[in-house]
Order: sequence, then structure tokens, then C-alpha cells
Amino acid sequence: MISGLKGMLVTLRWLGKKNITANYPKEHLPVQERFMGFPGLLWDETAEEPFCTGCMVCVRECPTQCMTAIMHDNPKAAEGTSHRRKIIETFEINLNRCILCGICVDVCNFDAIAMSHEHELASFARTGARADLGLLLDLGRKFQEEVSWAPKGADRNVASVVLAKRAAAEAAKAAAAAAAPKVEETPVATEAPEEKPAAEKIEEGDS
Amino acid sequence: MNVTLSDAITLGVQLFALFNVAALGAVSLVWLERRFLGRLQGRPGPNRVGPFGLLQPIADAIKLMSKEDVAPGSSQRLLFYASPILVFVPAFVVWLTFPLARDVVVRNMEMGLFFFVAISVLSIVGLVLAGWSSNSKYAILGGFRAAAQLVSYEIPIITMILIVGMLSDSLDFVKVVDAQATVPFIAVVPLAFVIFLVAGLAEVGRTPFDIYFAESEVVGGPFVEYSGAHWAIFFLAEYVNTFVVGILGALLFLGGWRWPFGADLPQVASVALLMGKAYFIVLVIFWIRGTYPRMRIDQLMAMAWKWLIPLSFVLFLAAAFQLKFEWPWWVLTILSLVILVVPVIVQSRKQRNPALALAARYAANAVVVQAKPRPAPASEDVAGATPAAEGTSP
Repeated sequence: MISGLKGMLVTLRWLGKKNITANYPKEHLPVQERFMGFPGLLWDETAEEPFCTGCMVCVRECPTQCMTAIMHDNPKAAEGTSHRRKIIETFEINLNRCILCGICVDVCNFDAIAMSHEHELASFARTGARADLGLLLDLGRKFQEEVSWAPKGADRNVASVVLAKRAAAEAAKAAAAAAAPKVEETPVATEAPEEKPAAEKIEEGDS
Repeated sequence: MNVTLSDAITLGVQLFALFNVAALGAVSLVWLERRFLGRLQGRPGPNRVGPFGLLQPIADAIKLMSKEDVAPGSSQRLLFYASPILVFVPAFVVWLTFPLARDVVVRNMEMGLFFFVAISVLSIVGLVLAGWSSNSKYAILGGFRAAAQLVSYEIPIITMILIVGMLSDSLDFVKVVDAQATVPFIAVVPLAFVIFLVAGLAEVGRTPFDIYFAESEVVGGPFVEYSGAHWAIFFLAEYVNTFVVGILGALLFLGGWRWPFGADLPQVASVALLMGKAYFIVLVIFWIRGTYPRMRIDQLMAMAWKWLIPLSFVLFLAAAFQLKFEWPWWVLTILSLVILVVPVIVQSRKQRNPALALAARYAANAVVVQAKPRPAPASEDVAGATPAAEGTSP
């Protein structure tokens, strides 16, 4: 009986406490940094294009086959502002099928996809579960802004780094050619130093 | 007896107003209960429909009214549809005699307390009939439970009402309130109020005693087959009954509209005072609901027959002696507290003893497990190889 009164006091004490629940649709609890929401496509700011080349590895590995990807030739590769010869043209994820397993992230060789924090994408539209390239890139960019995301293979995948590396290699090759006693190579040696500072500039901007 | 047209119209208006007061009170309790339980559990409760969720009960009512009203094919259709009304009508009719202030009453009766007891008992019939006519095992079990529970708990509650009647020397609600102008009966007989509250909780089936429609046991009891408007009537009756317990407690034990001011206040203030007390009791009921789990049916019956009924009879005798020998009122307070303390001590000893006995039995049966000494390594070369084992080897 005394313990019963103690129990009454326990519940009474809650009257003075704050609610432990969040006012959900109006107020969202922050998710953890490693929370796995729907996958999003990441954005390579150094080349102003997605990381994704449309290589279809994630499409093949997806256990629920929720993805579709089509690649095309990257016009920026022709311009020389990107190292990616192929780039994603369309990418679609059926969010109803996606089970948020993260296998696509694990298998991606290009740091192109990440599990974003977005988990509330329900819509009234019948096609609302289809996330197209624009939406996926939005998710990815939002995710990149929220967490301090860094590519795992920066030396392979970030355009500026790869281009700088290539330029450095070219320059080294040219320098080696210039050092070699050959008369014809001298005009190339004069070109090479011009390229090198440009590549360094891009690298600085990236960091 | 001549009934003129104006009399009939007056009565009609009064009944309409009374129905609305009762229904509004019940609906307000639905909101209050959900908000208050939410607070007790650290969540806001309904807060979307209207300001502070005030319109939530109305939204619920609209939902219930627009629901399809299904009856099982094998049910006794007439009784099935009549029993919600049989439950609701007594809950509503008792309001006829409740004075909300002096002269704010439909029909004050000299036998008001008796009228209340006589009418409120009738709702058992509706519950049992609802259980029987549903032709469902859960419903009939719930109906039987309702009958057992309500009949058992009526005895203490009627005895408590009787004690109040004895102390105030009247069965008229107004005179009962007048008798508490200086000292409310909760001070005179605190135990009576406790028993009244516990038995009242059981009468209306609030949570520690919601045996007869326990969801986890009889999946809603007599109400299991009901839906839509008919279920809503049961629901409304439950809350009207809760409100009745609040009003009755305020009238019989908390001094109605007179205590603590003594003299009569203006009518509006009187009604507000009475309602405040009633809502306080109702909040205590919700508080109890937010705290205690449901009892088992055997615990429930044991509580009624082993505790409440003997205690109420003893208290009844004490009140009778106090009146017979004209002791001052505080003698009855002391007596009632003593009567309350005795079962508390007995109960706590009873609770402690099995635990002690169990501990003693374990102690008696306990086998002392002694760790066997580990055998020394048999072969000499192992002992020689490990310097730590050298001391043990001969």
C-alpha cells in the first residue's frame, strides 16, 4: 500500500517534466551522422559534374534490382576539364524497392553514391517512389553539405586531383624528354611549364 | 395530478440542458483524460485538432457516427441494439437528482441518495444483456465479469452512501451538502471517501478495475461486437459514469458548493466550485489510471469481499456508535483512520511474510558448494618446466 503511494508519486513527478516526444511532422529529430537513408548521387565540385560514370556495378549488385543507369560520353572529357570519359545520363532508383542495404555504396569504385540522410520521401503521386537523377543528385549534395564528406579514393576519382596528376606526369615526361639530348623536343619543354601552374591552381582551389 | 403544458415544456428544457451538461462533461473528460495521461507519460496527448486538441473528442464522435454499424448475424438483434441504451439511460437518469448548486437541479428528491443507488444499479442489466446478445464468448465472459464486479462493489459504495446519509441525517443531496458547511465529510470519515473512491472506480470500470472489458483478456468484454454509434453510446456512458463519481464525491464528501466558504455563493460560483471539486476527483481517477496496472479478477473479488466490505461494515458500526453516543466528529475521524491503519499493517505484513519464508526456505535448502582443490600436475617434467608449479611438486 505504501509502495502504491510511491508509485503515484512517480507518475505525479512527470507533470513537471518536459515531453520526451518530438512534435513529429512539425519537428524532426536530428539523425545520426551514420544514419542510412535512401542512396544519393554525389557531386564532384571540381568538375561540376556527378562522380557517377554509369558503370552499372551498383545496378548489378543491388539485391532488389531497384536501380537503372545509362551512361553516355562525357563532353567535359573532350574539353579536358574532366578525367571521366563516360558520365551518367539517367539514373533512377525505385524507392519502394530499395531496402537501404548500402551494398551499392560498398561496391562503387568511383565514390559516386552514398547513403544520404533522407528518409521521408513518401508522396501522393503514383510515380512518387521513382527517384530520378535530379532528385538523387539533390540528395547527394544535401548529404555532402550536412556531413563533411570526403571521397575515399580522391586520387582516382576527384577530377582536379586526377587532372593535376596527369598534367604533372605529362610535365615530368616532357621535362625528361627535354633533359634528353634531342633537338626536336625543345619547343615541348617550353610548353610544359605553362601547363603545370594551371594544374596547381586547380588543386589549390579543390583543397 | 395535473401536468400543464408549461410544466412539460419546462421539464423538456431542463432535461435537454441536463443531457447537454452530462454529455459535454463526458466529452470534456475524454479530452482531459487523454491530455492528462499524456502529461503523466511525458507526451503531449492529442494536440492537432483545434487549439490544444480540444476538438479531438468531436472529431472522434464524427468518426464513430459515420462508421458502419455492424451486428453479428447470430446476435439477438433487439437486445443487441437495446443494451447500449440500457447502459446509458441509468447513467443519465441519475443526473436528475444531482444539484449542481442550490436550486440548480431538475428534480430534488428527499430520497435522492436512494434514487441514485436504485437507478445506478440498473446498468448491470445492460452490460449482461450486451454480453449475452452478442453471441460471443468474450462478450458473455465480459458480461459475467461485469455482473460479478459491479454487484460486489455495490455493497461498499452503498454502505458509504448510507454512512453519509446517517451523518447528515438525510438522503436529500441538498441537505447532505448543507450538513458539510463547516466540516466536509472527507474530514469526518476519510476512510469512507477512500472506500467510495475505490469502489466507484470499480463501478465505472476505470483502469485498475477494468476487468470486464479488459482488452488483453476478454478483448473488450461486452462491447466486443459493437461498433460505430452503439459503441459510442457505451463509451459515452462510461465517461458519464466517471463524471458521476466525481460529482457524487464532491457532493457527498468534499462539501459540494458550501465548503470551504460556509455560506452559499452566487449560483454560478457555486456550480463552478462543485465542478472544480468534481474535476479534481476525476483527475485523481485519471492519475490512478496512469499509475496502476490492471488487477486480476481474483484480486479484484478478494479486495471487495475481504477488504472493502468488512471495512465498510466496521466503519458503518463506528459511525452508528458515534451518532448514538453523540461523540464529537473528530472521534469518528480517529476511528476511521485506525480502521484504515489496521488493514494497511496486516497487508504489508502479509506481503512481507511470503518473501521472508521463501528466503528462509532457500537458506535451509542451500548447499554449500566447496571448490575442489585443483589436482597438482602429474608429470614431473611439466612441473619442472613451469617455475610457478615448482612449489607444489614434491
